[in-house]
Amino acid sequence: MDYRETGGVDQLDVNLREAAAPPRLRAIDFLLRTRVALGLQPVTAPAVLFVPLGFVLGPQVLGLLPRTVITHLDPAVTVALAAIGIFIGMGLETGDRENRRLLGAASVQAFLTILTVASATLWLMSQWGLRLDLAAGIVAAVMGIAASVSSASAPDRLGETHRLITRIAEFDDVVSVVAGAIAVAAVGAAGIEHGLLRLGEVVAAGLLAGLAGWLLFERAHSIAERGVFVIGALALIGGAAEYVNGSPLLAGMVAGICWKRLPGRADLIIRNDVSRFQHPLVVLLLVVAGALVEVTPLAIWLLAPFVVFRLAGKVIGAWAASWVVPSLRAGDLAAYLLAPGLLGIGLALNFVQVSSTEVAAAVASAVALGTLASEVLALLAAPGRDRER
Amino acid sequence: MRRVSGLLAVLALALLVQRATSGAEAGGSVALAIGFALIASVLVGSLTERLALPRVTGYLLLGLICGPFGLNLITAPMARELGLFNGLAVALIAFIAGLEINVARLRPQLRRISALGLATLGVMYATLLPLIWLAWPWLPIAPEVTAFERIAFALVVTVIVISFSPTVTIAVIAENRARGPLTELTLAVVILTDLVLILAFTLAMQLAAWASGDGARGQDVGLGIHVMWEILGSFAFGAALGALFALYLRAIAREVTLVLLGLCVVLTGAGHYLAFEPLLAALAAGLVVENIAPPSGDALKRAVERGALPVLVIFFAAAGASLQLDALADLGVIALAIALLRGITMWLGSAAGRAWIGDRSLEARWLWMGLVPQAGVSIGLAVIVAAQYPGWGTRLQTLIVSLIAIHQVIGPVLFRAALARAGEIGRMDIELTSESGRSGRSGEVEEVEVKST
Repeated sequence: MDYRETGGVDQLDVNLREAAAPPRLRAIDFLLRTRVALGLQPVTAPAVLFVPLGFVLGPQVLGLLPRTVITHLDPAVTVALAAIGIFIGMGLETGDRENRRLLGAASVQAFLTILTVASATLWLMSQWGLRLDLAAGIVAAVMGIAASVSSASAPDRLGETHRLITRIAEFDDVVSVVAGAIAVAAVGAAGIEHGLLRLGEVVAAGLLAGLAGWLLFERAHSIAERGVFVIGALALIGGAAEYVNGSPLLAGMVAGICWKRLPGRADLIIRNDVSRFQHPLVVLLLVVAGALVEVTPLAIWLLAPFVVFRLAGKVIGAWAASWVVPSLRAGDLAAYLLAPGLLGIGLALNFVQVSSTEVAAAVASAVALGTLASEVLALLAAPGRDRER
Repeated sequence: MRRVSGLLAVLALALLVQRATSGAEAGGSVALAIGFALIASVLVGSLTERLALPRVTGYLLLGLICGPFGLNLITAPMARELGLFNGLAVALIAFIAGLEINVARLRPQLRRISALGLATLGVMYATLLPLIWLAWPWLPIAPEVTAFERIAFALVVTVIVISFSPTVTIAVIAENRARGPLTELTLAVVILTDLVLILAFTLAMQLAAWASGDGARGQDVGLGIHVMWEILGSFAFGAALGALFALYLRAIAREVTLVLLGLCVVLTGAGHYLAFEPLLAALAAGLVVENIAPPSGDALKRAVERGALPVLVIFFAAAGASLQLDALADLGVIALAIALLRGITMWLGSAAGRAWIGDRSLEARWLWMGLVPQAGVSIGLAVIVAAQYPGWGTRLQTLIVSLIAIHQVIGPVLFRAALARAGEIGRMDIELTSESGRSGRSGEVEEVEVKST
């Protein structure tokens, strides 16, 4: 698993490499490693652990996380989405030729996956004659966009192939975030003009928050004050996007690009400070996603096409991307990119935030369950070490 | 200049999203309110500090200016949602209060603290109770009640009017990094007297229930058991959690800020479900950590510094945004008169205490300035009365809110002035630096260096 989505290796784990638990507690040393607790090692994605946990704790099973609590956790979910967007933005390096080529390949495969899943889902929905309280095109688009993300999971792979594919998986998030923001802006928009205006507001919010952060982070009078600026910037980015019913992921990505490109050390500061609470935020996001899962007939109907068409979309996308990067085999690319990571769940949660309808809840449930199924598929399809070499 | 530009960028962002979305379409956003309150309050706080005013006043002013009665950048629903942080803030503040009370260090001063605290309380109660009873027909609470009922209600009102604010006291101390004799004395007196006041309030409420015919004998016994459960149970629960936290600090001591905030969430949440008083529970937890299992190194102090600032900033900005200026406009004169009387009796009470034990120290002379703030405890007690007596209790709550508005503005300014006179501002950092130098370890992950200007 690469750590892009969660902002890199946890500081706690960095410390533990140098100093393990006190001798008396050596037996429970493994529990202190948050990556293990998050399921990031050896091959299990955090979603596999925490989405089911959220489902069990949620209103559908034990009821320990009732609807009121989930509603109160909404600001934290928004902040988590903004944080993911920031890391995606800061990871967007297109300086050299190789990166630009990989960005092209990633865009091609993400676009084809979106197209495959969205068009197939739309066709199926029209065949089934489903009555939805949302435009079928938006539902299909959200399914496609959530299906397009990938994380190239495989922590023990250090070869050149995996390095290139990891970069492609990083870059395909950009297309997914932008497409997701367009879909979210389209929900409830009075027309194309209104939707575009909403999208513009989100980008402007990201730029202004990025500017504020850049101006303030390096001028903090103390570490505590700097921490306040960082948390404030995250909340401002997510909250501003939420306020205009937009995408915190896009606003975060724009701010992340600002911090990366502008002179100074804003990107280093945000990476350092957010690393302190990145994992709790990720856990929260996944637990909330699990708690929101409702096993309804519509969710079940949408689940199967999500998994099957995503598989088909990734194969088609990987085949097309291998033309852009000839050194990569289409089979390897497809096998690696099957692992979805948590961004798809984030996109689905954002969709639920702007559209509190039964269909949106069913889409989020299908995406959360489909992500788990895709992780299992990815585990089975991951290329062996020998083949990679 | 860059900080001012940052503030302008944040304001521009808040105005952009508000102008961009019509009222019907806007979903409102707690996250936006939090982000805006955090950044803008800290920047305004640093501006007020330059004017020799406490930062807390800056946070309150920011909330007031940007709240529903001002620019409406923090709308009324957003301000209400921000109020959810109150529980966490109160628990954290009480925990810090517990950490500041070192029983071994205070033991030689116990007689002095008790004498000053009880004399202040006694004089205030003895003066304010008859005044409130006499003025009762003109107070906008329940002018129609007479005889014994009037005495009982006046007892309840007097307790709430007197009550102090450990929250603001600790916040001003933490925010000014203050340490010294005045800090210790004020904190100890505020906590001790508020404990006495909570007990007095419980008794006064029973008397009021009996006088108004609401309290049958059986219910009185139930209330007594409930009070015992609330006080003793809260202390026991908090002490147990404090012991676990101390164990964590000794054995693991990593990610202490997050664990500390988690502890406060548990104290607040469990308090809600088990009918414990989070303030008492958190205080007990802090007392246990400080007095029974003090941690080595400065990991906890740094965690408190890191965790406290954002929570306090949101707490006070939300308090500022929630101040009901319309209530203050209606009841302003009465509230101002009560606040004035409260201040005078407070000064008289503290002078009586000093004369009683012959204390001529500077910290005893300035003690009353640290007792002026009023906030969470007062509003909490008023809410209990309003819940039990929806009629006159609600009117009392409005009056108390007006009183708190006045004390929120005056209290922190007075207390900071006293701390500055005593030369105790910033002494916590001096001691922390020397302790770190001695221990030779920071206990935290290496930071990206902060470049100050």
